[in-house]
Order: sequence, then structure tokens, then C-alpha cells
Amino acid sequence: MKSPLSQPLPAEGKESTNTGLLKLELIASGINLGEGLPSPLTNPFGLIHLILPEGVSVSVQQASDKQQTPFTLLHHGKRFFLNFSGKETPVQWVPPLKCYHKKTRSGILISDILTVHSGLIAVHPKGPCRFGLSGLACRYCGSSRELSNHPPFSKQDLIEAIQTVLKETSCDVVHLSSGHVETEDGGIVWLTPWVTEIRKHIDILISLDLAPPKSNSWIDQSYAMGVDAVYYDLGDFAPHQVTGNKKSEEDKKRYLETIEYAARIFPKGAVLSHLVIGLEPMGDTQKGIDLLVERGVVPLLVYFPPSPHSPLSERWKMKPEEVTPLYTHLFERLVQVKNTPHWVHQQDVLLTPLEGRFFSEKSAGFHLALKKFYETGFGRKVRRSMIGIRRRLRVKHHPAGYR
Amino acid sequence: MSNTTPRDTGNPMNIEIDTRPLPIVILSRWWRFPVYLLLGWILYHSYFTPPPSGLSVEGFRSLVVFLICLILWVFHLLPLAITGLFALVAPPLMGVLSAKQAFSFFGSEPVFFILGVLILAAALLKSGLSSRIALFLLRQSGHSPKRLIFQILLTASLLSFIMSEHAVAAMMLPLVVVISKALEFVPKGGSYGRLLFLAMAWGCVVGGIATMLGGGRVPLAVGIMQEAGHTPITFIEWTLTVIPIVILLFFSAYLVLTRFFKIDVESVYEADRIISERVRELGRIRLEEQFLLVLTMGAILAWIFWGTKIGMATISILVVVLLFMFKVVDWKALEENVEWGIVLMYGGAIGLSSIVSSTGASRWLVETYVIPHITSPWMLIGLIAILTMVLTEAVSNSAVVAMLLPISLSFAGSFHLDPKVIVCLIASASGLNYTLPMSTPAIALAYSSRYLRVKEVVLAGLAMTSLSWIFLMLTAKFWWPILGIQIP
Ligand code: SF4
Repeated sequence: MKSPLSQPLPAEGKESTNTGLLKLELIASGINLGEGLPSPLTNPFGLIHLILPEGVSVSVQQASDKQQTPFTLLHHGKRFFLNFSGKETPVQWVPPLKCYHKKTRSGILISDILTVHSGLIAVHPKGPCRFGLSGLACRYCGSSRELSNHPPFSKQDLIEAIQTVLKETSCDVVHLSSGHVETEDGGIVWLTPWVTEIRKHIDILISLDLAPPKSNSWIDQSYAMGVDAVYYDLGDFAPHQVTGNKKSEEDKKRYLETIEYAARIFPKGAVLSHLVIGLEPMGDTQKGIDLLVERGVVPLLVYFPPSPHSPLSERWKMKPEEVTPLYTHLFERLVQVKNTPHWVHQQDVLLTPLEGRFFSEKSAGFHLALKKFYETGFGRKVRRSMIGIRRRLRVKHHPAGYR
Repeated sequence: MSNTTPRDTGNPMNIEIDTRPLPIVILSRWWRFPVYLLLGWILYHSYFTPPPSGLSVEGFRSLVVFLICLILWVFHLLPLAITGLFALVAPPLMGVLSAKQAFSFFGSEPVFFILGVLILAAALLKSGLSSRIALFLLRQSGHSPKRLIFQILLTASLLSFIMSEHAVAAMMLPLVVVISKALEFVPKGGSYGRLLFLAMAWGCVVGGIATMLGGGRVPLAVGIMQEAGHTPITFIEWTLTVIPIVILLFFSAYLVLTRFFKIDVESVYEADRIISERVRELGRIRLEEQFLLVLTMGAILAWIFWGTKIGMATISILVVVLLFMFKVVDWKALEENVEWGIVLMYGGAIGLSSIVSSTGASRWLVETYVIPHITSPWMLIGLIAILTMVLTEAVSNSAVVAMLLPISLSFAGSFHLDPKVIVCLIASASGLNYTLPMSTPAIALAYSSRYLRVKEVVLAGLAMTSLSWIFLMLTAKFWWPILGIQIP
């Protein structure tokens, strides 16, 4: 493999920066700040939002003293550049949302309610989850366990906050986390009033982060009530064993059945699972990817360096260029099984499955065209309508006592 | 549906997700729209098409509306009641008659008779009197499994003499479920469990034809007859006409049930215990129930003796007024228990059939297409009975009456038949269905217990249908002439 930052794009065949790799490097090692940058430069969670070549979105942290990063953000006139290895690559800087500093009518700061990741609004009404607490710096809900410890807010606050965000920027999805409660329903009961309230007031897609429920009927119910995508994480029996609690074979079987069932109920590509990479041998992760893809699930490969004080940081061995084959494998497998790699089409804290195209010889033309269409105002409307029509067709409500 | 997601008891919302390929789902959900368009086009097109020779413009258009309503009723493209309403508005829209005339059909006497009967049945159900009667009839089976079957059959039949058969089935189902549980039967388990449910359903079917109170189809038939200008059949006349069929079918049902299904229990002691327990729980008969009992008996006597003089509907509405005067039931409880939609359906059906016959459309249809192929009145009667019985297995009883009677009444004149023959034939045959769940609510409720499987019921059902046809023919041949209903 060539130097990470001068790896040729397979499609172009000429020496240039590989945007996928660049994104991974930036997530892993952060960025130094040059002179004369505007202020405020970061969002309230300390993330700098940049658009890399080919419209790839990334949120980067300022490099800490411990981190050695080759990247420096520079500002000449009105333009921004990334300087690395003596080369300057033009990038776009997206100013932090002003509305983060606004408050709802009940006085809650919007940044205490949600985080916006280019098109995805992340909300965690229940509080930080296993990820947030594990020391992995999951950045959806504010990148640290401290920040995901928000003050309680009401449904009304959430609606106001989302509406305020939508006035300032366009977003496709509201992503709610159940905090991975291990209840019979997987957390859906707790989230139901939140979903209902959003559905009632705002025309937007809704995805949920849930634990696998004990009975499939909860999956039916999630879909019927208006949830558009679900994330069921591999949890404790993932090949990488993030938290080390081994679950029984029975639990594992049940989990796999659940996600397989969910993939039959939800639209293609809308059942997802985070898969943390970089902590275990590649072969194991690849098995995890195959396990999910075979069952119709789209894995989202999470490459987050653990915070330095976490015991997991000991196990953090993989460099970005070493993990790229996993992204290639994921993208190619999804294309092969005709699943949709673009349900999450913009994600600035991780490399999306479609961004695996940067390491693959396979053409992503169709999926890219679709992604571009869905990023237009009209495309967003079409996508929401199609998802809505599918639900109308597939869900049958029976009168009480039907069973 | 095999490809829908499995039902799961944990789901509180009664949801089912259809996971079949999307084109199939679209077809199954939206096939109605192209059909609506087609029917709309037929209506529009027929408005500008000249009628065939021998038929008036109004006759032609009313025939088209009739055909469209038939399609809507048979394929359940709209709820029965809504098709009934459509049947009222379509003729004025097509210029067959004025809106005022069309809506006046809705005020016809049989519609109000049915309304009163439905309210009385709801009151019997709500007050618990019907359960009391059922339990009284079911008591003391002497632990004999055969006797219990006989009693269930008898109870359902007798109750269907005074209440619509679907109300009886709805009332008896929980009781039979409790009995089968007490005997430790599970769905798909022993055959005696199936027998219990089928006895209840067939009891309702057989008893349901005995009086005009067993369902809406007889009043509907009488209404159609009246609107076509014939002297209507009275309450007692009807019962006298069909009672031999009811008695013969009752015993046949018992024999068929006990022959076709194995009795795989020795004693039904537990069922007896449960029934006695229920009777004890009911306590003494309340004053309201006593009043209701007297009122129901009084109403039946009034229908028998003064039905013609003061009008069937007058009596039935009077009964309703008395119910409220003496506060036997309250309106809220009734609102939930009366099938209001049925009343709308009947109003529309009676109106439409009257339009079809008054415009000469039914006569034209029969003279042009049927009479040339029918050689004798008996051939006609036999065929009508078969057609009605086949249709009624797949379509609701009242829809069959609305569909077949207006046209068939036109045969009567052509073959010098008493119109009562046609009315009695269709109104009774349309109630004799034994196999399919869509035929009548009583059968559907028996299936809802999940004890029955269509395959198992088919043979026994077929035997009952054949016997029904034979008994109907024998009654027409030997009994009806005694009552003065002659068949040439
Ligand atoms: S997984 Fe969700 S709740 Fe957990 S830390 Fe990340 S964003 Fe927050």
C-alpha cells in the first residue's frame, strides 16, 4: 500500500489524494489549527466540520498534545486548505450552527438536546449509552461521556430544537438513541412517545438506536409507528468483544434472528448495525461484516480512537490505511448482495458504506447518482414519500381482538 | 396470508406487516381502484348508449346500476352498507328517477321492521337474558357428550327463532369456548372440540330461517316483494312455510355432526359443572329481564296476530319505544350493539330492486335470456335453489337476496307461479350455508375459535347442503300446496 495520502483513486488511476483515506486519517488523528482561522471555529462539542473533495463530509477534533497529526487547517482569503506533507488540498469549512446557542422556550440549550451531523440530527433523550460510557469516543451525541450527560428535556423541547435546526440547515434524519436498555421491547416503548411527537409535527425520516427486542412483534410495531430505520448493534458478542461480557449462544442466536427479521420488515439498507473496527484482527471484523450482510443488515464501520484514559486505548493498534480493506470489502459485499449502501448518505463522524467506494474498483455510479438526487430538496421529498407509501402498503392494522 | 409476518402475542397494536414482494402487495391493496374506474366508465358509457330493443332507457340504466351494485356486493368492493347507499343515489344520477322518489324507498316498512328487530336483539344480548335462556337450555346434559351436542344445537336453533343468528352466535361463542376449555380441548386437538363449535354455528343457521327474526334476509325479501307490488308474506305464514325444513334439518344436522366427527370423549361432566356454575353466577332473574321476556313474547304474538293489520314495522318500533320507556336498556349500550350498517344496506337493496322491476328491466332480462332455456316451473325452482345455496356460501345472505330476488320475481309471472314460492325459496335457501366463513357471521365466529379447518368441514357441509336442497324441494312439493301455495 502506498503512502496513505497519495494513494491513487482506483477509478481515476492518477496520483491524487484518496478522499476516503483522508477522512479516516482526519477522524483518527485530528487536526492542527493554522493562523487567522475564524472564531468560533468548532461546534459546542469541539468538532470542526469540513467538506473534503467530492463532497465528503467530516467532523474533526483539534489534535491534542498527545496526538501527532500531519494535518493543519489553513485559511487564505476566503478559502480553506488542508496542509499535509507540504501539499495544500482545498476544503470547505462549514461554520458551526448558530442555533446550538439558542434556547427552547423552557430554557434548554439546543446543544444540550441534539447534535447535527450533516443531514443527521442525533438525539439521545435517555442519556449516554454503553458506547458513550465505554470510553470509545462515539461522537454522535457529543463525542464524550461528559457531553452526553445532558439535562433532561421534554418532547416539546425536542420538537422546538429540531424545528430551529431545520430553519438553519437541511437534514434528512432524526436519530434517536434508546441508550441500549436491555428490556423485553429493546427500548421501543420508551421511545414511542418521542417518535410519535416528531411524526406529528415534522416531516423527516426517523431512525432509532435500539437493543434487539425479545419478540419480533416489537419490530413490526417500530416500523408501523413510523420508524424508518433501525440500528441494532452487535453488542457484547461482537467479534471484537468491546465490553467483554460474553452472552450465551442462545442470546446470540436470538439476536441474529432479530436482525434478519428486521431486515425483512424495513426497506433495503434501513437496518444497520455499528461495528467497531481497529480493536481486533481484521479477519474477525470481516467475519462480523459477512455475518451482518448475509442477513440483510448494513454494518457501519466505526473507527473511533478510544479516549487516551480508556483501557481500550491499549488495544488500539490499527492504522487507517490498514483498515481500508474492511471498507472495500463492505462496499463490494453490499453491491454484490444488492443491498443499499446509501441509506446513511452523509455521515461526518464515520466513513459510510458508500464511501468504501474510494478503495474499490467496483463502480458506485448508480448509488452515487441516487445519493446526489436524495440530497436535493426534491429528492428528499421523493425519498420520504416513497418510504411513506411503502409503509402504507405493508402495514395492516387489524381491529382490536384480531388475535 | 402465508407471506405475512407471524402473529405474535407480544404485539399490543394488532399489526401485521405484509412482506410479500411489493408488486403483489400493491396489487392486493389497490386492485380495487382500476375496478372502480372500470365501473365508473361502464356507468358513464351506458348513459350515452341506446338501450337494446324491447327495453326502455330507464330500464336499461337501472339494469346497469343493478349490475354494478351486484359486483360491489359480491366482491365486497365497498362495505355492504355503503353499496346500499350508492344504490339509492345512482338511479337519480343516471336519470332513472328523481332523487325524491329514490330516497323515499329508504322509508319502506321492512327497513324499520329490521331496525326494531336489531334493537330488540341487542337488548336481549345486553341484558344477559339471552345468556340466561342459553344456559337454561344447556343445563343437565347428563354428562353425555352426544346430549351436549344436541343441546348446543337446540339452544342455538331456538334462540335464533327470536334473535338474529349472528347475535346468537356472538352470545354463545364465549360459552362454547369456556366449555371446550373445561374439557381441555385445544384448537387442532380432538374432534369433539370442533364438534362443539360447529354445532353452535349450524344450530344458528338452521334455527335462523324459522322466523322473520332470525336475520335480515326474510324481511328484506318481503320488502322487495312488497315494493314489486305483491301481497307480502306474514310472520306466521313464513314460519309455517319453512317449519318442516327446519325440523328436518335440525335432526339431519345432529346426525351429520355425530357421524362425520368422532366423539373422542367419554364424559362431559366438566362442561355440566361449568354451566351450573354460570347459572349460579347469574343469580335470580332481574326485573328488567322479566320485562324483556314478556315484551319479546308479546312482540312475537303481535307479529303473528296483528302483523298484517297494524304493520310489522309498527310493532317492532313500538317494542323499541317500550324498551326505552321502561329503561330496560340505555341508548349508549345499544349504539354499540346494533349493526346500523345492515339497515342502510337493506334500504338501498329494497329501493334498487323496486326500481329494476318498476322500469320493466327485470322482466325484459328474464324474457330475453332465461325463459327460452327453462322448460318447466320445477326446473326453475330447482335451479334457483341451487344457485342461491352456492352463492350464499360465498356471499352474505342478504346480498344474495338483493341479487337474485328482483330478477327471479319476474319468473313468477312468466311461469304462473305464486310469487311466494320464489320469495320462500330464495329467502330460506340464502340462509342455508354450512361451510365457508364468509357465508354468515355464525360460521365465521365458529372459525374464529381456530378449532375448525375448512377442509374438515367441507364434506359434512356438502352433505348438509344436499340435504337442504332435497328437503326444500320436498317441502315445496308436498307441504306448500297444503298451505295454499301451488306450483303448477
Ligand atoms: S451510541 Fe448514541 S447514545 Fe451512545 S454515545 Fe454514541 S450517540 Fe451517544
